[in-house]
Amino acid sequence: MSDSAVLARSPEAESLAHTLASRTSDVEDLVRSAWARFIGARSGVALAATGGFGRRELFPHSDVDLLIAVESESELSALRDPLEAFLRHLWDADLRPSHAVQTVAYCGAGHEDNLELSISLLDRRYVAGDPGVFRSLDERFSAFLAKSKLALARALAAKTEARHAKFQNTIYHLEPDVKNAPGALRDLQTVRWFRQLRGQQIALDAPFEFLTRTRIRLHEIFGRDYNVLSFEAQDTIWDDAAAGMRGYFQYARAVERELERSLEHASTDPGTLLGRFHDWRSRLSTSEFTVSRDRVLLRDPGRDTGLRVFEFAARHGLRLAPDTVERLASYAPRVSWADWKALLSTDHASVAFRAMQQTGTLSAVLPEWRRIESLVVRDFYHRYTVDEHTLVAIASLESVRDARFANLLTEIPDPWIVRFALLLHDIGKGSGGDHVTESARIAGEVLARLDAPGQDRAAIEFLVRHHLELSTVMTGRDLEDSATAQHLVSRVETVERLKQLAMLTYADITAVNPEAMTPWRLEQLWRTYLLAHRALTTGLYSERIHASVDVSAGRAAFLEGLPVRYLRTHSFEQIDAHVALARELESRAVAVEIAHDRRIYTLTLMARDRSGLFAGIAGAISAFGLSILKAEAFSNMQGIIVDTFTFADSNRMLELNPTEVDRLRAMVRRVAEGRQDPGQLLRARPKPAPPSRQARFEPSVRVTNGASDTATLVEIVAEDRPGLLYDLARAISDADCNIEVVLIDTEAHKALDVFYVTALGGKLPEPRAMELQSALLSACEGR
Amino acid sequence: MKKIEAVIQPHKLEDVKEALKGIGIDGMTVIEVRGHGRQKGHKEIYRGMEYQVDLLPKIKLEMVVAEARAEEVVRTLATAARTGKIGDGKIFISDVAEAIRIRNDDRGEAAL
Repeated sequence: MSDSAVLARSPEAESLAHTLASRTSDVEDLVRSAWARFIGARSGVALAATGGFGRRELFPHSDVDLLIAVESESELSALRDPLEAFLRHLWDADLRPSHAVQTVAYCGAGHEDNLELSISLLDRRYVAGDPGVFRSLDERFSAFLAKSKLALARALAAKTEARHAKFQNTIYHLEPDVKNAPGALRDLQTVRWFRQLRGQQIALDAPFEFLTRTRIRLHEIFGRDYNVLSFEAQDTIWDDAAAGMRGYFQYARAVERELERSLEHASTDPGTLLGRFHDWRSRLSTSEFTVSRDRVLLRDPGRDTGLRVFEFAARHGLRLAPDTVERLASYAPRVSWADWKALLSTDHASVAFRAMQQTGTLSAVLPEWRRIESLVVRDFYHRYTVDEHTLVAIASLESVRDARFANLLTEIPDPWIVRFALLLHDIGKGSGGDHVTESARIAGEVLARLDAPGQDRAAIEFLVRHHLELSTVMTGRDLEDSATAQHLVSRVETVERLKQLAMLTYADITAVNPEAMTPWRLEQLWRTYLLAHRALTTGLYSERIHASVDVSAGRAAFLEGLPVRYLRTHSFEQIDAHVALARELESRAVAVEIAHDRRIYTLTLMARDRSGLFAGIAGAISAFGLSILKAEAFSNMQGIIVDTFTFADSNRMLELNPTEVDRLRAMVRRVAEGRQDPGQLLRARPKPAPPSRQARFEPSVRVTNGASDTATLVEIVAEDRPGLLYDLARAISDADCNIEVVLIDTEAHKALDVFYVTALGGKLPEPRAMELQSALLSACEGR
Repeated sequence: MKKIEAVIQPHKLEDVKEALKGIGIDGMTVIEVRGHGRQKGHKEIYRGMEYQVDLLPKIKLEMVVAEARAEEVVRTLATAARTGKIGDGKIFISDVAEAIRIRNDDRGEAAL
């Protein structure tokens, strides 16, 4: 196809181009006559049109870009007064001249600190003055361009990226700037410049027409060079503003795609350090995908790879190559719940969702997404469309700057739940009703269709339904009032959910606009989190299950007297499995079950309570070389204790030797029945190397009598080590105290343990509490 | 004219706004601020880590009212913002020399 065929414009675009050209022509006549009047026919100086004026695309109120080129600097002093009069005349004629005065030699060389000039000269055009000067300028600049195209393209790319950063790198602004925002007119022109530098031309007819028409209207409405498509302007320009904005985003996406191609072409040079790094990334290539210049390409475009291409991009933080995006247009693979989970578990899940949105796959596999695509919901605070807000929220979890929330995120074992909830949290917006209720309803439908397991479904639905809870409390309720704490406890129910909800709230606020998460809000959210955390932690023991409703008789007898937390953290399937396990106690003293999900194992033990039992099991597991991640111990009214230990099989010992699971079960049974001393087993284990000095920290043991009516709360934070839990539980037993409830957690090399203990059926008197604290501190240090 | 500045608990903002609206005061500037008075800061312990909380989130309200109404506004504001606990905040009153509405150059109380 010839260039002229490619560039043939639609009648609409032609008419708009004519409008701009006609304005250019009018302005040009005025400028020429002013030049003739004030500068005259003197030699050694020429006037060139640059920028939009040079392109003959002058908008009603935009600046008139002029270059006054002089043969040599010696011309300047004689020109000063006439030039001043010339420019003043243009201002008086209601034009806004934006001028530069430069020598021909300066224009014909590259200037890193004056890239604007080189770019504006791409659209140079003679207007008036000495034609010889313009010819000389034209020749010199053309010669410069011939040898500096690559450098100029790279500089243009850097400038474009810097401009995009000012708009948070997204086209999806509720009130976009139709000149400078990503996907708008400046980008469209940038694409043209890139093509020009490569000796090609391109027509972006439809976007040009739409964006140009919109900008002309904005100039007419505001009577000045104002380019923000404000809500007010949207209402003035279109009868249906929502449809108008959908149109805007459609064209902005088209421009963005073309620009992406141009930027990709200009971005890498294998000779540079960055280029070599990009090449090094190509080692990430697999049998399915190639990584080239940090972009993912499909090896076999015909092959259905499910969501793996997106998962691959997300795992390595890579973007899809424009070619891949084109090939995957409207790609709609069959997606299972496991696929979603794998995708959401990657560190850069937002990258995957962006890629899926680009290809149309997100709305293909999640049709509900269409409801919020490019959806403008007018709001004083929100800056982005609903879909963009959602993706920004997911991305915000990938770079949490505040140390407290960054740590909190690491405490959540399944952050993918939070990401999925974020994906759906505003899906009901635009429905006209209460968006929280609508989002929760839609989330329920989506999760049912995806056949999500009951617990995952409950967790995600909970987060969507309550996603405004913490924001509302942090601004609307007294954080010093115990009623607020109780309100949060009743809504959130478990520490696990609280952590998920806090991170979801953090992401939701952060994604409202770049300034939304002020230190003020951060502090309020953290205080709200702490309030609920304290209330949930201290309420662990005091709330017990009594006269269980809505459960079978078998379940009810087992549940009676267990802490309420047990009911909130176990599904009915898990409760039934425990009820069945408890029945084994009719024929044996100890019932043990070991299950696993990949390399994470869960051991559940039930027995009649016996002093030192919890310590013994912890010791047996550690003696086996397994690392305890979490543990819980509860007991019910029948005196049955339910101990659960979650541990990691980091060395794949159990996975590769299935008989070892039987050996572990037998060992636990022997220890639980008092037939084996766990202390002796632990002593036989080799001592691990202590952590580096930098990683070490002082242990802390807090003993509180005010947290519960009937038991003493012991909170321990210590460096984790094999056998630590055994030593702590042993110290409690040796102090003749009973462990009523235990909640053990680990975070990297830190152990975080909560015990509710009693002595003689009640709280520990002060001297005994002090003694226990001292004994536990010694145990933390392995003394 | 009097300028009234009040530092209040964040959760009291809606009550105060409603109360002021009730006596015909609609115009005010609301600023999210952090600070402490006698309440001072305190230490929060979370999972073994100590966090010094020395600047507590508060809301600052600013409004300029006719001198004759200042006392009524202050009384209404204080009543609505009060919980009786430490940290309820403070109200400051100062004289305002002039007020100008930028749009039409109204001056004095007419500009309020």
